[in-house]
Amino acid sequence: MVSKKGKIWWIAVLLVLCLVPLILPRFYVYLLSVILLFGLFAMSNNLPLGFGGIYQLHHAVFYGVGAYGTALVITKSDLSPWLAFLIGPLIAAALGLIMGLICIRLSKLYFGMLQISLGSLVWAFVYRWYSFTGGDDGIHGITVPDIISSYQGAYYFALIITGLSLYVLYRVLKSPYGIALQGIRDNPVRSAMIGVNVRRHQLLALIIAAFFAGTAGTLFVVVDNTVFPDMIFWTLSLEAVIMCLLGGWLTFLGPMLGAAMIVVIRTFVSTYTVYWALVLGIIFMLVIFFLPNGVLGWVEDLYKRRKNVADMKE
Amino acid sequence: MKKAFFLAVLFVGLFGLFTATSVHAANTIKVGIVDTYTGPATSYTQDALDGFKMAVEKINAKGGVLGKKIEYTTRDEKFKPDIGLAMAKELVMKENVDILAGTINSGTALAVSDFAKKEKMPFFVFYSKSEKIIGEKGHRYVFNMNENTEMAGRAAAVALAKKPYIKYWIAGDDYEYGHAIADAVWNNLKKTKPGVQLLGQSWWKVGEADFTPYITQILAAKPDFLIVATGGSGMVNFQKAAKATGLVQKIPFYQHTANELGTLQPQGKDAPEGVWGTSNYFFYYPETPANKAFADEFMKRYKRYPKASGLVGYMTARFIAEGYRKAGKIDNEALIKALEGLSLESPVGPLAIRACDHQLELPTYWGVTKKDPKYDFLVSGETIVIPPKDYMPTCEEVLKLRK
Amino acid sequence: MDAVGVLNQVFVGLSRTVILFIVSSGMSLILGVLRIPNVAHGSLYMIGAFIAYTLSKLFGGGDLGFWIALVGAPLGVAVISLAAERGIFQYLYEREHLMLILLTFAFSLVFGDLVKIVWGGEYKSVPVPYVFQGFVPLFGGLPFPLYNLFLLCCGPVIAVLLWLLVNKTKIGKIARAAAVDREMVGAVGINVSWVFAIVFVIGCFLAGLGGVLVAPTVSVTLGMDHTLIIEAFLIVIIGGLGNIWGALLGALIFGLTQSLGIMIWPQFGIIFPYLAVVVVLLFRPTGLLKSTW
Repeated sequence: MVSKKGKIWWIAVLLVLCLVPLILPRFYVYLLSVILLFGLFAMSNNLPLGFGGIYQLHHAVFYGVGAYGTALVITKSDLSPWLAFLIGPLIAAALGLIMGLICIRLSKLYFGMLQISLGSLVWAFVYRWYSFTGGDDGIHGITVPDIISSYQGAYYFALIITGLSLYVLYRVLKSPYGIALQGIRDNPVRSAMIGVNVRRHQLLALIIAAFFAGTAGTLFVVVDNTVFPDMIFWTLSLEAVIMCLLGGWLTFLGPMLGAAMIVVIRTFVSTYTVYWALVLGIIFMLVIFFLPNGVLGWVEDLYKRRKNVADMKE
Repeated sequence: MKKAFFLAVLFVGLFGLFTATSVHAANTIKVGIVDTYTGPATSYTQDALDGFKMAVEKINAKGGVLGKKIEYTTRDEKFKPDIGLAMAKELVMKENVDILAGTINSGTALAVSDFAKKEKMPFFVFYSKSEKIIGEKGHRYVFNMNENTEMAGRAAAVALAKKPYIKYWIAGDDYEYGHAIADAVWNNLKKTKPGVQLLGQSWWKVGEADFTPYITQILAAKPDFLIVATGGSGMVNFQKAAKATGLVQKIPFYQHTANELGTLQPQGKDAPEGVWGTSNYFFYYPETPANKAFADEFMKRYKRYPKASGLVGYMTARFIAEGYRKAGKIDNEALIKALEGLSLESPVGPLAIRACDHQLELPTYWGVTKKDPKYDFLVSGETIVIPPKDYMPTCEEVLKLRK
Repeated sequence: MDAVGVLNQVFVGLSRTVILFIVSSGMSLILGVLRIPNVAHGSLYMIGAFIAYTLSKLFGGGDLGFWIALVGAPLGVAVISLAAERGIFQYLYEREHLMLILLTFAFSLVFGDLVKIVWGGEYKSVPVPYVFQGFVPLFGGLPFPLYNLFLLCCGPVIAVLLWLLVNKTKIGKIARAAAVDREMVGAVGINVSWVFAIVFVIGCFLAGLGGVLVAPTVSVTLGMDHTLIIEAFLIVIIGGLGNIWGALLGALIFGLTQSLGIMIWPQFGIIFPYLAVVVVLLFRPTGLLKSTW
C-alpha cells in the first residue's frame, strides 16, 4: 500500500489542486478541469489496456455515449440533472457489458478490431439520427445546476468526481480481483488453470472501464456544456490509447500524465504555430525512442534502479 | 512517493512555461480566430483569413481604428469541435481577445457561439453555413458573415421555380449541411411551385469518393432535375463522377457553390460544363472597378484569385473597424449596436448587416458552369443576380425560430 | 431493385474495392510480417496522391503526366518509407506492439502537417488521362466510367503480382518465415533487417500506388489520410494478416456490402460493411484466410 510518506505527498497535491482556483486565472482552472476529465478517460482506458492486457482500442464509445446520455437526459427530459450525471455513466456501463459480451471471445488485436467495428456502428447511429441527437452539429448550451456552472464550480466537481473515481480504480487494482486481472494479463493460461474465471474477470474490467469513461464524458458535459459525435469517433479512442502509452501504460498514473502532456502541449504550442500536430508527433517519437515504457514508466524504472542500488549498498 | 513528487514538478514546470500570459497591449484591438487550417476545409478558411489580413493591413496603415491597431491571432482546430471550443476559451481567457471569429465547422461554430453568448463577446462566423447560427441558436453576440443553408436553398428555389422541371431527385452528403441545403431548396421550391414531385433521395457518407453506385441509381429513376447537396471536397468529387459517368449530359443538376471558384479552380479545364450553382461571390462578376481592384490586390498579395470566403474575411474586418468607429469607443456592446443595420461599400456594392438577426445580406448569383478562354478554369455563365430581399427569410421567420 | 440494378451495383462496388485492396494489401504485409500496426498508412496514401499531382503537373498535366505519376509517386512514397524505416523503425522492432502504435501515430501526425507545409491547403486535382475519359454503357445502358474499368483491370493484375512476390519469390518466402520466427531466420544467416526493410517499403509502395490510382477520381486534399485507414485495418483483420488474397477478399466484402447496402437501406447503408466485419469476426475470429500470426 502507499507508504506514510506517499500519503503526505498525496495530501499535499490534493491541497494544491483545491487551492488552484483561488490563485490562478480562469483559463487555468478550465484547463485543469479538462486535464482531469481526459485523465480520467485515459485512466479508465488503461484498466483493460495496461492492467488487463485487453486491446481496448475504441474506448471513446463509452465516453461519448456517457456524455450523450447525460446530455440527452438533461435536454430532453424533466429529470434532475444530478440524476442525469448518474444515468450517463450507467448507460455507458450497460453498453460496455453488451459490447463486452460480444467481443470477449476474441483476444488481442482481433478484440480491438471487433470493438472498433461495433463502436463504429454506434457512432453511425448517433451521427445520423439528427432529430434525436443533433447529428453532426452536436448538442449545445446544455444547462447544468448553478452550483457547478461556473468555471470554479465545474472544476471542483471534476476534481471531486475524478478523485473519487481514481480512488475506486486504485482500490480495484489492489483488490484480489485486480491482482487476478493482472495475473490474467501476464499469463492467461496459468490463471485459468488455478481456477480464475478469465472471461468474467475481463468482462468486469470492461464494465468498470466503461462506467468511468462515461463518467469522464459526463464531466465534459459539465465543463463544456456541449457534446459532439466526434466524442464517439475512433480518432478519440486512438488519442486515449496514445495518452496511456505516452504516460506509461504499466503505471497507475501514467495515463493521467499522458493526458496532461497532450492537452498542455497542444494548448501551449498552438499559440505559436498551427503545426502543433507536427510538434506532438516529434515528441511522441522521442518518447518511444528513449522512454519505451512511457514517461512515468521511465520515472518508475529510475526509482526502482535507485532503490536497488540503495538496497545493495546496505 | 517519488512519483507524486515528479508529477508535481512536471506539472509546475509545464504550467510555469505557460503562465506567460501574453501581453495584450492596451492600444490594440485583438481578434482571435479559431478555424480549421489543416484538412479539406483549408482551401476556404485560408481565403477568409487572407481576406481578413488584407483589410486589417490596410486599416492599420491608415492609422487603425480610433487610434488603435487591429491585431489578430489564429488557432488551428483541425476540424475537431472539442479542440475548437477549447481554443476559443483559451483565446478569450488567456489571450484576452476583444472579438472572436472563424470556424468553418458548424459544430464548433455553435459551441463557440454559445460560449460567446456567456462571455458577452462578439463572434463573427466566416464560413459556417448552418442556419442554426443566427436562427434557432442565434443571439445578440453572434454575426453570420456568409450565407446560410436556408438562404442558399431559398435562392436556388427562386431560380428553379422559373424552370420547367417537374420530377426531382435529391442526393447529397449525409450530414447536417447536406440535409439542411436539400430541405431548404425543396421546401421552398414546393411552396412556390406546388406541382413538383420528389421521386427519391440518395445520401452518401461525407467524403465519399465513389459515386457510381448512386449515380446509376439516379439515372435509372430518370428525374428531370437533380438537386445535389454536397459540401467541401464532395463538390469536386461529385462533379468528377458526374463527368466520368456522363450524368452531366443526361440530367441537369444543381449544387450550392457548384459555380464557385473553390469548386472549379482545382479541376482546371476538366471541370464539367452545364452544372447549375449558386454562389455569393465571383471575382470576375460583376465587372466593376471596385471588384477588379479587390481581386487584383488579393492576387498581388497572395498569388491567387479570391474565393467567396476571401470577400467574407475582408468585409468582416471592415465591419469591425467601421463598427467601432461609428460607436466612437472600443466597447463591445456599443459595437454591436453600431453594427446592426450598418451598410458598407464592398467590392460588389453595398452590403448590410441585418439588425434583427445579425445576418450579412449578400447577393446570390445563380449560374451555370462554362468554359472561358480567359481563364484556366471554368466560370459561371448566364449569371442572374438574386438580391437579398428576394430570398432571405424574414425577420419574423428567423426570430420565431429562436424561441 | 431488379436484377440488372443489382448487377450494376455489384460492378460499381468493385472499382472502389480495387483501391481498398491495394492499400490494404500493403498494410497486411506490414502488419502480418513486421507486426507493425501502421497508423501512418493513410498518410502515405495521401502523400502518394499529392506526389502524383506534382508529377502530373510537372509533365504537362496530361496523359504523360499521369503515367509518369503512376510510377513515380509510389516510388517517391517508397523512398520516404525507406528513410523512415532505416532511420527510425529498424531500431524499434523489439518494442511492444502497442508502443508501435504510438510510433506510427506520431508519423501520421508529422506527415499530415508536412503535407500541408509542402503543398499548402488548396484542393488539388489530377485529371483523368484522356484515354480513360468517358464511359461504357453497362447492363441496361447505365454508364460505367472507363477509368473505373481501368481500375478493375489493375486490381487482379496487382493481386497476382503480389501473390507471386510473396509466395513464389525467395524474398517472399524468407519474409513469411521471418514473420513466424525471426530469430530462426536470423540464425540461418539471413539479414533479417534488410528483409524487413524490403517488406516495409513494398507495403508503403502499395499505399502510394493506391493514392495515385484514386487521385483522378477525387479531389486531392489534406485529410485524405483519415478516409480509409480504419477500413484498411478492418479489411486486413477479416482477411487474415499477411495474406494477399485475404486482403482482396476483405476488400471485396467491404466494397460490395457497401454498394449493396445502399440499395437496401439508403440512409444507413454505411453500416453494412461494419456489420459484415462483426459477422466475420464472430464466426472466423482469426480472419477468413490464413494469417501469418
